[in-house]
This record gives sequence, structure tokens and C-alpha cells, in this order.
Amino acid sequence: MKLSTLMALSARGLMRNRRRGAVTLMAIAFGFAAISLFAGYTHNIYRGLSLQAIHGELLGHLTLSKRGMSREGKLDPERYLLTADEVQRLVALVQAERGVVLVTPRLALSGIVSNGRASTIFVAEGLDPEAARRLHSLPDGLTRRDARSDTGVQSLDRAQSEGVALAEGLAALLHLRQGDQAVVLSNTLGGQANALDISVNGLFNTGNAGTNDLYAFMPLELVRNLYDASGRADRLTVLLQSVDDTEATRQRLLEKLRAAGFDMEIRTWNELSAFYTQVHDMFDMIFGFIFSIVLTVVVMSVANSMGMAVVERTREIGTLRAIGLRRRGVIGLFTGEAALLVILGCAVGVALTFGVRYGINVADISYVPPNQTAPVPLLVDIDAMRMLFTALMMACVGTVAAWIPARRAARQPITDALGHV
Amino acid sequence: MTQTCLANTPLMRLVAVTRRFQLGETVVDALAGVSLDIQVGEFLAVWGPSGSGKSTLMNVLGLIDSPSSGEIWFDGAHVGHLSDDALTGFRAQRIGFVFQSFNLVPVLSAVENVALPLQIQGMPKPQALARAQDCLAEVGLETFAAFRPDRLSGGQRQRVAIARALSGSPSLVIADEPTANLDSENSRMVINLMRQMNQNHGVTFVFTTHDPRLLEHVDRKVLLRDGRIESDEVLQ
Repeated sequence: MKLSTLMALSARGLMRNRRRGAVTLMAIAFGFAAISLFAGYTHNIYRGLSLQAIHGELLGHLTLSKRGMSREGKLDPERYLLTADEVQRLVALVQAERGVVLVTPRLALSGIVSNGRASTIFVAEGLDPEAARRLHSLPDGLTRRDARSDTGVQSLDRAQSEGVALAEGLAALLHLRQGDQAVVLSNTLGGQANALDISVNGLFNTGNAGTNDLYAFMPLELVRNLYDASGRADRLTVLLQSVDDTEATRQRLLEKLRAAGFDMEIRTWNELSAFYTQVHDMFDMIFGFIFSIVLTVVVMSVANSMGMAVVERTREIGTLRAIGLRRRGVIGLFTGEAALLVILGCAVGVALTFGVRYGINVADISYVPPNQTAPVPLLVDIDAMRMLFTALMMACVGTVAAWIPARRAARQPITDALGHV
Repeated sequence: MTQTCLANTPLMRLVAVTRRFQLGETVVDALAGVSLDIQVGEFLAVWGPSGSGKSTLMNVLGLIDSPSSGEIWFDGAHVGHLSDDALTGFRAQRIGFVFQSFNLVPVLSAVENVALPLQIQGMPKPQALARAQDCLAEVGLETFAAFRPDRLSGGQRQRVAIARALSGSPSLVIADEPTANLDSENSRMVINLMRQMNQNHGVTFVFTTHDPRLLEHVDRKVLLRDGRIESDEVLQ
């Protein structure tokens, strides 16, 4: 029997018990929509977190440092800091690489900040104010709604080297407001104490309760002065045109730097953003859990529906076998019905997904995630790949669910099937 | 016991066929050593009381059941050893079936039901439907081609079933109690129609019945009792 004939017969078969077919179809559609919406939600979360890491946390796409700096740098900064000459050569080398938008040196520092009466510890990133602004700006077409933190780097100014941005919690501990003066104290590279006046140019919310009373952004020159490390840096941050080029660019740069005599390590934004990785892993696990449950419900629905269809149509199966339909034809007939049912269910599910997604996105819902200090919008993307994967899995598993009763029916003796009441 | 064998190579030959069923701890011999030759173009009725083995014999003749022992020859070829797929293909090309309960596919129209065996054999739909339309015309139902079975009377459904059985131009049509679900008028009409097809196309018909009045129309009648052929009469 030709496949077209088989599918036409399968389609007719679906019309026999419309109520049962509709219930099964809706189970598939709702299951598909539930998975697709959750996939779209996690897709939006991943996208938001990646933007937050790259632009919000100013990680850029790639971070270059001397090999071992991430593990030993604090113990032996002199050994792992890049010299002014190395910084210049590296910037020139990386800048020449295709797809690189920005290369900027940075220097991390920790110390004590004081308002004259009280003091507390801080962790600061020293960045070139202009480069930090470019790092912080989102790619074309994206808005602040897509990235979930505000670093306050806009308040840094090349012309005002003492102007810093403090996290809101840190400023609150010392009752510092925008425009107030304070003093920062840190060790120089040589181990001597060094203090400088600062001016609070801006405040920002890290979005994380664990860092909001700790972080600060400072002009790179201020940090270098505190550190007594003129022209030096501990890392170079690289911004690329596209996040998709991250891994390929890392490989090319590693080759290039090795050839130039540099022993460097290059880490990607997602390797540096533990939060992104943890959230990604957690949502992947939840997705897998939901996917398994929904798939089980779909399989049970299809198996039940097709199992009943096979029993009800046993005599017809006997007739078809008698007039020349082979066993595999019977199996094809019922698995074809199941496949059509799943395809139709998924099609309805796609429509449901788009409808519900539109409703959620225009409703402007926001919520405060655990351990966060600021609300984030609840938005749902379309994750086409995972929707396709879901549809394929449902079609495969649904077909297998129909194959079992169909095979049983096809193998029973024709005389028994014809005598079935 | 009277047994008459016609000359020439038979279309179908059964040699000492038995069919044994295990019902719990009881063994039932539905067919107990049946030997039978069926000639090309015959119009043959198998009759007998309930439980005599008529339906079992029809199933064996239609190659939808295998004998417990004995040989089955079709057109000079031994078909007892064929695989399920081969037997299915053989049935599709050589044997048509008419069932007591019509057994039409309810979601297909009359013409689609008649075209179904042809499509199963791989014939393209337009040709199959054209051929099915001709078959329906032969049984007088061309105007009911688009009707689904639930809109047809019992007699009409059985005529559609006969058209379906003939659509593949088979050598043999097996009809197990084709009139059992019909009133006497429709029963006579169906038997006359089968007779007409037999005479017009030379198709061999073997059918079972428990209605003695229908036996007046046949060439040959085989009386079955307790799984054995009790008489085999060729009528003038």
C-alpha cells in the first residue's frame, strides 16, 4: 500500500471517535504548549543572564590573563600582573582580531572605604570609564529590560579620576550619598598602605544581595594609583560583535598569543559567571523533569486512545488483512494515525504557545527572584529548537505508543479478528 | 456419502485437510479430513447444520486460516507453506471475500470501500476509484458511490461488499453466510447477483448458507456435517 493511501486512511481513522480524538489532541496540545512556554521562559532567562554577565557585570565575552592568575594572582600579584608594555602589545594583538569590538585593561582591588567615622571593606573593579560605558551598552535592538542590572559605570569620568560608583548597599552602610566624599585605603603592589580621596559619582544595584554591600567601580587610573602600578593590569576584557563567536575567537586568540610568546589563559563569560552556569543547570534540570512528566502524559493519552481504537476496530483489521493488507500495513495504519494525532496536537500547541506568550509578554509581569534585590520582568521567548525537539520526541514516542497495540493487533489470527465482537 | 469430482486441473484442491481447535481441555475437529476439488467457474454452495465446519472450511479455502494437516493447492501450486506476507499478497490478487456482516470500512464511501483492495495492492487512487465505480455500476449502485455504509440498506451494503470482492478481478470469491443478515428478498437478490457475476466474469464462487431455498441457484452443493463432507452434488 502506498504511503499516501496509508496516511489518507489514517486521517479518516482519526475522524471516527471525534470526542476521544479531541481529548487526546488537546492533551498533546496543552502538554506541548506547557513545555514550549517553559522553554521560552528559560530561553529568556538565559538570554537575560548572558546579557547581564557580558554587559551588566561588565565581563565582556572573553577575559585574558596570565596563566595561573585566577588561582595564584592574589598571593603573588607582582608575578601575575601584566606590565604596561605587555598590556600595550596584547591590546594591539587582540584588537587586530576580526570580530573584536573592544579590548580594555582592568585591575581588581580590595580595601577599606571610610566616611571619616566608620569604614567597611569593598571590592572594586578599575576600568577605563569610556571603555566601561561601551562594555555596558547593549547590542543594537536590545533594551535595559533585556539585561537585569545597572552597574552605574555611566557615572565614571575620565576627567574626574577620583569619581567612583558604589553599590547601593555599600553606600548605605556608610550613609554615603551621590556627591559625598570618602577615603579608600588599600595596599600597594609593594605591600605599603595607600589612601586616596574619592567622590561618590553614582550608585548602582548589583541585583544580588550578596554583593550589593561590597562592590564598587572605579576609574582604572585611580586603582592603578592606589596599587602603585602605573600602566599595569591584571586582565584584559574583550567585547565581541556576537556572542556566538566566543569560543571560536578564544581558540584563535590562544593560537595567536602563543605564537607571539604570551603564556595566557582566556576564559569565556559563562565560565566566569558562576550564577549563569548555576541557573542554567538548574533550569535545564527542571525542564527535563517537566518534559518527562508531560511526555509521559502524552504517551499515556496516545497509547490509551490508540489502544481503544485497535480494540474497537479489530474486526476491521481482520477484514483488511483478509483483503490483502500486510501486517506491517496494519501497524503503519495505526502508527500513522498516532503520528498525525501528535502532529495536529503540536500544531495546536504552537498556536497556544504563541497566544499565551503574547498575553504574558504584554501583561508586564515582574517578580523578584531568590537572592535578588530588584524585580525582573517575566518574559517568554520562542525557543524554536526546543519546540522542534519536543515535537519530534512527542511524534516518536507517540508513534511507539501506538505501535505496541497495533503490532499486537496485526499479529492476531485473521479468523480471530474477524470473529471479534 | 456421495462425492463427485470434476475433471481438469481444479482451481483449488484440498487434500485430507483437518483443522483442530483446542477449547480448554477439549479438542474439537472442525474439519476432519476434507478433500475437495473446486473447478474454475463453479458456483458452489457449502451447507450444513450449525457447527458442521462451514466457516472453518471457508477460512481454509480463503487462505486466512491454516489447516492442522493436509494439503492446499491453488491453481496447481501448493500454497500451504507460504509465509504470511506471501499468503496476504496471494489473497489480494486471487481471492475476494464477502462477509456475513458486510465488514465495510465505516469512514469510507461505497466507492472508496470498493477501491480499497486495489489501493492496498498499490494501484493509484484515480485508477482505483474509476475501477471501483465500474464495479459499483455492475451491482447497480453507481448512484450510491458517495454514500457511506451507514446510509445504505443491508442489501445495498452486501452489494457493495460483492463489488469490493470483485474489484481486484479475483479467481475465487469466498462468501461466508452472505445472506445471513438479510431478509429473504435481499438474500435472493444477493445470490442472483453473485450468480450473475459468476456467469458474466467466470469467477468461481464458494459460499455457505443455511437457507435450503438458496441452494436451487447453485451448480454444486456440498453438505458438511461434523467436519466431513457428507455429500457433494453437481446439479444440472
